[in-house]
Amino acid sequence: MLLNLIVTGVLAAFPTRASGDLLAIRVGRAETIAQGTIEHAVVLVEDGKIVLVGEDLPIARGIPVLDRPEWVVMPGLVNCYSRAGLDSVAGADFEPEILASKEVYPPQDIYRAILEAGVTTLGLYPAGSGVPGQAVAVRPRGADIEEMQLADRVYLKIFLMANQNSKRMLREAFEKLGEYDEKVKKAREKWEKDQEKNKKKSSKSESETEKKETEKKESEEKSKEAPSEAPKQDEDKEKGKEGAGFVPPEPEPKVKPFVELRDKKLSALIRLSKAADWLHLLEVIKDQDFRFALRLPLRSDIDFYEVAPAIGEKKLSVVMDPYITLQPNTRRDRNIPAEMAAAGAKVVLIPRRDSEEGHRSWIKDVGELVRFGLDRQVALAAVTQEAANVLGLGERLGSIAPGRDANLVFWNGDPFEPGTRVQAVMLEGEFVFEEVTR
Amino acid sequence: MKSRLVKLAPAALVTLLGFLSTPAPSFGQEEGGGEGAGGESGDGAEGDEAKVDDDADAKWYAIVGGDVYTGTGSVLRGATILSKNGVIDAIGYDLVLPEGTETLDASGYRVYPGLVAMGATNRITQGLFGVGLENPAEEEELDPHFGIDDDPATRSSHVDVGGSPAAEAAQADDSQEDTEKKVEKSEVEDSYDPFSEFMIYALASGITCAEQQNAAVKLKRREIEGIFLREKFLTPISYSLRSPASIRSTKEKFDKAAKYLRELRAWQDKGEKSAKEPSKKGVDTSALKVLEGEVLARFNAGDREELLAIGRLAQTYGFRPVIFGCQEGWTVADELGRAGAFAVITPRDREMKDEVFLRAGGTSIENASKLHRAGVQVAIVPQNASFDLSGLSGRDLFNLPLEAGFAIRGGLSEAAALQAITIVPARLLGVDHRVGTLEVGKDMDAVVCDGDVLHYQTFVQYAVVAGKLQYDKEKEIFFAHIRPRPEKPVLDPGEELTEEPAPPTPDPEEEKEGEEPPKEEEGGEDEEEKKGE
Repeated sequence: MLLNLIVTGVLAAFPTRASGDLLAIRVGRAETIAQGTIEHAVVLVEDGKIVLVGEDLPIARGIPVLDRPEWVVMPGLVNCYSRAGLDSVAGADFEPEILASKEVYPPQDIYRAILEAGVTTLGLYPAGSGVPGQAVAVRPRGADIEEMQLADRVYLKIFLMANQNSKRMLREAFEKLGEYDEKVKKAREKWEKDQEKNKKKSSKSESETEKKETEKKESEEKSKEAPSEAPKQDEDKEKGKEGAGFVPPEPEPKVKPFVELRDKKLSALIRLSKAADWLHLLEVIKDQDFRFALRLPLRSDIDFYEVAPAIGEKKLSVVMDPYITLQPNTRRDRNIPAEMAAAGAKVVLIPRRDSEEGHRSWIKDVGELVRFGLDRQVALAAVTQEAANVLGLGERLGSIAPGRDANLVFWNGDPFEPGTRVQAVMLEGEFVFEEVTR
Repeated sequence: MKSRLVKLAPAALVTLLGFLSTPAPSFGQEEGGGEGAGGESGDGAEGDEAKVDDDADAKWYAIVGGDVYTGTGSVLRGATILSKNGVIDAIGYDLVLPEGTETLDASGYRVYPGLVAMGATNRITQGLFGVGLENPAEEEELDPHFGIDDDPATRSSHVDVGGSPAAEAAQADDSQEDTEKKVEKSEVEDSYDPFSEFMIYALASGITCAEQQNAAVKLKRREIEGIFLREKFLTPISYSLRSPASIRSTKEKFDKAAKYLRELRAWQDKGEKSAKEPSKKGVDTSALKVLEGEVLARFNAGDREELLAIGRLAQTYGFRPVIFGCQEGWTVADELGRAGAFAVITPRDREMKDEVFLRAGGTSIENASKLHRAGVQVAIVPQNASFDLSGLSGRDLFNLPLEAGFAIRGGLSEAAALQAITIVPARLLGVDHRVGTLEVGKDMDAVVCDGDVLHYQTFVQYAVVAGKLQYDKEKEIFFAHIRPRPEKPVLDPGEELTEEPAPPTPDPEEEKEGEEPPKEEEGGEDEEEKKGE
């Protein structure tokens, strides 16, 4: 009742709003992720954002209503780990500075097909093993990369395998980070010495007069330095607490991503191949502190369940494929995503194949895991909210909640049910696909 | 008070066990591994640190009540092995176990040192996915979501890469050059897969230490720390009668190395600093290391003539050759014994005698026993140093003890057969100061068997590596259902088997069992008394 009142209140507050911007969608059920499942839901969309969602909300007169009681709505699917439409190949090199956004070629059919499958966000990563570069988050629609791009540099992809070359690559990256820190430290010491010298000089020269105006002098010094450091003032502000005026030397392009990792401005997505790689990863990163998610490709005879408790304990995001796998050398089924979820990890699921067909059957494949014991809500979040979190867009995407982008996908039944089809897709408030129109 | 008790305990143990504990190994060759004992290793250092630390932090583990086959020739029936931080602290009877000791009841079982597998494939420690995937582009294609991997390329992981001696030799040759570079970590260490199911097979076969790519590693599960023991201890030397060039070059290398050593010693004896130190230039480093005893020279040979030639070479330059194959060794056992050779053989090898010659030749089941009698140290390897699941009495690592059993059939003593798969290979890998026998000061790597480890019926029930239970047959998906472990009657102290419909006259064994509990009680009282003090 209370909610109803609020709704009418809110709606009453904007009576003059252009009705074209405002749309109320009444559906049989909403899988909101944030608030779980809501039956007989109403979703109010305005200016490409979700304004309200609730059960059986009365809709004020004058607001256009899309009434589809047989439909089920959920947030647009988020595939955070894709190379759809990208075709470059690369070796096992150390190229953390490379950006996948430079590679995207927007006018391609696959993006349209993916969008029609209900996928409203893609995280495109650069090709190659080793450390191939940084991923970009896009909406699968737009004439050029500016139109498509949601956010660039969403994660740094790292490909770690249990072998010497792979581990050495990462070890050296952290060594170089250490060297850079040394360099910064030295530069700072030098800068501080210079500061003191300048002070002494100025104080000497003016000692004949009086020593009262030290404050002024300092301010003068600052103004002297200011012009030389003008271009890097942004960084100054951040480093302000450490010492005003000091500018750390610019890191090399290959080191910079790791500096950003360390400073928590960038996160990493680390791809492992088997359970043992996890131990080797821990051995390499030691006490380096940075944010990272894991990409664990599931295939038959994979043993990631061995490290599920350890990964779950750290509450990491784990990007996996929706597969029921076999315990190595047995016929015993393992539902690794379910085991990861039970252990406390945040499960993210991506399509089995990075093709049109893969995206189309994606949700059904996830449904298979639900049938074999994965929690339903976990499964829903795994293709929406948790995936958005990996892209650093968790505040904006992945859930039907007020303030989020109105990325919605409408089904003619339970999305996990075989036979259920996408009826319509809304991308940022705009219907971009409707089954009826075809 | 507690800490005092704990401190007292080891001291008491030492005095108690002074005569009980097993004697030091009586094998007179310290040259092989003895010198290597000084080599520092991560684990050893850890152990030292732990000693400095308060004993309270120590991790104690005890295998209690088993018949302990120490591997040095002695058997201690119903004895207890106590380890501290993975190193054996005491072996004997009525040990006072420190508070918090984890125990493994081995009564009725036999306890052996963990077996050492020579030349094992790296599949064991690299797992199913360790090999293959060499081409990153291929892997990239596999990776995203191009489906569950059915690619034959990845299936090739079943192909053994490190198995062939040639490949190993090549690898060793490669690595030879950059020994000076000082690699931070061993390659084996960086690719170790403690979740590999081949690890389970190995432990089920009693193997706790394996040679992979010329490195000795421990088989630890679920962790990658402290697994590396030593690498590149065996240096391949090519010396084949079929290739006169190899003979010439090998002799040259040893000549130069020997000359250099002579000059070096002369220079050192003089003690004149003014004199110039002899130059190492042009001296082959591996030959030098062999002569200095830092590494062992490895030969692959089976023909009688070749074996004789190797024996001669070794005696000329004064080192101990390690001969892999050694099929006709039994015909020249005396010569090889004089050369102080090691032989790495497969008792079930079959090779026909060369009919051109009248003299004895070909393989013999007696090879191991004849070599051993002549003083050659025999190590035994299976025909295929891998796990290939091709039958119960296959010729792979599943049946390493069985292979040694065939040497017994040929006349080798049981003790020597056990040593052929424990301490002798440990010596060849330069890790005999850590593994290979159950002795105080060595690593707690032990297997608990339900019978003679060399018998085909025997199952390994438990395997302990570095003082930690790594394998329990009852908990392994592959083995638990085969001849499940019988449950033991649980008796409280003082309780007797009265309610059981047991035979009216109790077995002498049962009587023993009845006697033991009060002893434990006494021990408990002692502890209390000490606490009281």
